[in-house]
Amino acid sequence: MSVNVQGLRKSYGALDVLKDINLDVREGEFTVLLGPSGCGKSTLLSAIAGLDPINAGRIDIAGIDVTDRDPAARGIAMVFQSYALYPTMTVRGNMTFGLRVKRLPKPEIEKRLTWAADMLQITDLLDRKPGQLSGGQRQRVAIGRALVQQARVFLFDEPLSNLDAKLRAEMRVEIKRLHRELAPTVVYVTHDQIEAMTLASRIAVMRGGRIEQYATPDELYERPATLFVAGFVGAPAMNFLPVILRGGVAELGALRIPLDAYRFTSPPADGTPAVLGVRPEHVTIGGPGVAVATETLFMEPMGADTLGWFQLGAQRLSARLAPQLARGIDGAQTVALDIANASIFDQATELRL
Amino acid sequence: MRSLAARLVLSPTALITLVCFYGCAVWTAYISLTRSSFFPNYEFSGIAQYTRLFSTERWNVAYANMFIFGVLLVAGALALGIILALMIDRNVRGEGFFRTIMLYPLAMSFIVTGLAWQWVLSPSIGVQHFVRDLGFPDFTFDWVARQDRAIYTLVFAGVWHQAGLIMAIMLAGLRGVDRDIWKATRIEGIPVWRVYLGIVLPMLRPLVVTCVVLLSVAVVKSYDLVVAMTGGGPGFASDLPGKFVVEFSFERANIGQASAAAVVMLGSIFAALAPYFYIEMRRKAT
Amino acid sequence: MSVGRIGLYIFLAGAALFFAIPLLIVVMTSLKPMDEIRAGSIFAWPMAPGFAAWVKAWSSACTGLACNGIQVGFWNSFQILIPSVVLSVSAGAINGYALAQWKPPGANMLLTALMLGAFIPYQVILYPMVKIMSNVGLYNSLPGIVAIHIIFGLPVMTLIFRNFYAGLPDELLKAARVDGAGFWRIFWEIMLPISVNILVVAVILQVTGIWNDYLLGLIFAGREYAPMTVQLNLIVNSQMGEQEHNVNMAATLLTALPPLLVYVASGRYFVRGITAGAVKG
Repeated sequence: MSVNVQGLRKSYGALDVLKDINLDVREGEFTVLLGPSGCGKSTLLSAIAGLDPINAGRIDIAGIDVTDRDPAARGIAMVFQSYALYPTMTVRGNMTFGLRVKRLPKPEIEKRLTWAADMLQITDLLDRKPGQLSGGQRQRVAIGRALVQQARVFLFDEPLSNLDAKLRAEMRVEIKRLHRELAPTVVYVTHDQIEAMTLASRIAVMRGGRIEQYATPDELYERPATLFVAGFVGAPAMNFLPVILRGGVAELGALRIPLDAYRFTSPPADGTPAVLGVRPEHVTIGGPGVAVATETLFMEPMGADTLGWFQLGAQRLSARLAPQLARGIDGAQTVALDIANASIFDQATELRL
Repeated sequence: MRSLAARLVLSPTALITLVCFYGCAVWTAYISLTRSSFFPNYEFSGIAQYTRLFSTERWNVAYANMFIFGVLLVAGALALGIILALMIDRNVRGEGFFRTIMLYPLAMSFIVTGLAWQWVLSPSIGVQHFVRDLGFPDFTFDWVARQDRAIYTLVFAGVWHQAGLIMAIMLAGLRGVDRDIWKATRIEGIPVWRVYLGIVLPMLRPLVVTCVVLLSVAVVKSYDLVVAMTGGGPGFASDLPGKFVVEFSFERANIGQASAAAVVMLGSIFAALAPYFYIEMRRKAT
Repeated sequence: MSVGRIGLYIFLAGAALFFAIPLLIVVMTSLKPMDEIRAGSIFAWPMAPGFAAWVKAWSSACTGLACNGIQVGFWNSFQILIPSVVLSVSAGAINGYALAQWKPPGANMLLTALMLGAFIPYQVILYPMVKIMSNVGLYNSLPGIVAIHIIFGLPVMTLIFRNFYAGLPDELLKAARVDGAGFWRIFWEIMLPISVNILVVAVILQVTGIWNDYLLGLIFAGREYAPMTVQLNLIVNSQMGEQEHNVNMAATLLTALPPLLVYVASGRYFVRGITAGAVKG
């Protein structure tokens, strides 16, 4: 079942929270809405769920216009950030409430409950109250409550943000497994880029009520469409160097960086102020690219890699280095900027060039 | 419409609020501007009722009493309540016992409170009688029966009734203070009383304001206590506006005067509330 | 133990005595016969405690004309109390739920109106309310005084429940709506079961408040349904001849007993109730 959003607008008073959103989620696709807090991602999810009235636009689910339908009539299931388990009901009560409201026959309810509980390995928790469960168990119940609906569209609103790092990684895998086995259409909101990168078939990066880019994780990471996406996705963050583009060369102060290896999508005019973005893994010592002279600042060991910091003119540059290599580095150092894998943005429009 | 049921459910409440609270208040305000006396008379008369009200000796006594009673009750209940809260906060043994004793007056009606205190203070059977029997035949404590002192006896009873509430509110506030503040001040070697005076109580200032507002509102509304304890007497020496309005509405049947007095009461309430709303608004602004 | 701590306990003990004395006196006096009261002091321990005064206060003390004791008032108060508490707490719960969870348009306006309404002294609206009640034929009747208690309880009850429901995560309602439940079903099956604490607080607040009410009972209940507080004041303050202090105090105690029992039985809930009612009302 696809989810199709067209021309969606939503405002609270004078504040426009969603500005002309268009989003097309294909059947079985795992779409993540990613963005900083206040970007409108949760509002968009609420609008798809039908929990908040919208000002303009249209929402189709499975090709049917559901814009004016109640949440329960949209064929969706939803998992919430706070889990929103009904505190006085047992796990069983929580998971079957929606089915009982819909007056499904008892055997059918029982069948779905058993199936979902089995799927999530929570069968032995069925008679407990939410207060007696750990965070991870509550999360499973919340997912179970969505599973029993046997909806073909699942909405997740930051479901893992209340878990500690270890559990979060575990539940991420669990959600991924469920998606592989059941192949539902998923719209998933998060501000955590690792969650987004690991789970999504496509990510919609949002900012200020707009979608900046909607693409696969690889595309998003390798060819960010805007300066914001480039900065938001990737940790440690991409290096941004303010440059002037002139005749196939980026001028950074007195430094001239030839851009022959870069494939422009739209060739810029001479003298365009731009931002040259290079990811830390594309700043290397002895690797491919343009060699520049820098001064070593300090090293941040992070385990698998060491993040090296170098002074390049007035700019700081970070490089993802192998730990063994990083240990010997000090003083003046020549590093290579891999321009073939860099991104260049127009400083005025912030769009990729 | 997603909130249709909610709207339907709330509409009687909205109607009742509009009619019974605001409608009636406006009605009373309107009557106070007419020539009404025994019966309502809707002939407009400007502020005549008010000028007459403020030239009535009984009203002036009652209105002045409200301030005497109010200032003393607020100060007394606040001081006692805060002191008790601070003491109980010092990890005393038998905290539950003290709390229980200090709070039970709140469960009693003002009628019961007033009657009990009337007896304690009554010259013929109460404290005066007791002390005289102990061998001090000249001891005199007859405030409840004296024109110039009766209003102060209401303060005793009022403080007795309300101090527990202040204690409970302040104690909750004290318990809510970040324990790290106590750790920090202990490391710096600041004496306990200075921590309370210099740091903790200023932190609880909003609560103190709330208490002052609550007590002030209670003062303006006071009715039952004075009815049971002194009946407003001797004469009308301990009368209060709340009693004045009820009597002029229903016994003396001068609805014009009663309404004017009621409007003055309402004005007094809003004057007492002003600091509260000021603080609320400032809090919302930040 | 330091000097300071001893001083602290002495002060607390003194304060405890100040709070306890009126009740002690009333209890002791109610247990004494009249001659003992005349001869001794009110602080003296009863020599021959007995419940004679209690019996008289309950069944044959005089209120002006009739001499049927305070029991008449007790049953009146009881009849007023039950429907008033049930209905006003229910109204508060439903209103609070509708306001906080469904946030219909105008919810904030209604909330502000209720909050300010809670501060309006009864005296300001008493006379017009009497006119309205007599126009709808409810003045001086049991349904009338019940309606009055519901109306006057509306602001505080609604605010208490609203604050409680506003403290719940929004997602609870959202989850239930996605599950397909409607306004009433969500109220009954999800909201009400988690409201037990606040319901207890509200009930305590209303039971003590309505039982202790004097003014509204005096004005709206009429002679026939005069509540216990009104009767008590009649018995004590309109007696002719010698005051029967023991009977008066027994009657006072009987009137104070129900809320005192509620207080003792409910402990912390009572504190929460009065502070919630106070701070929010």
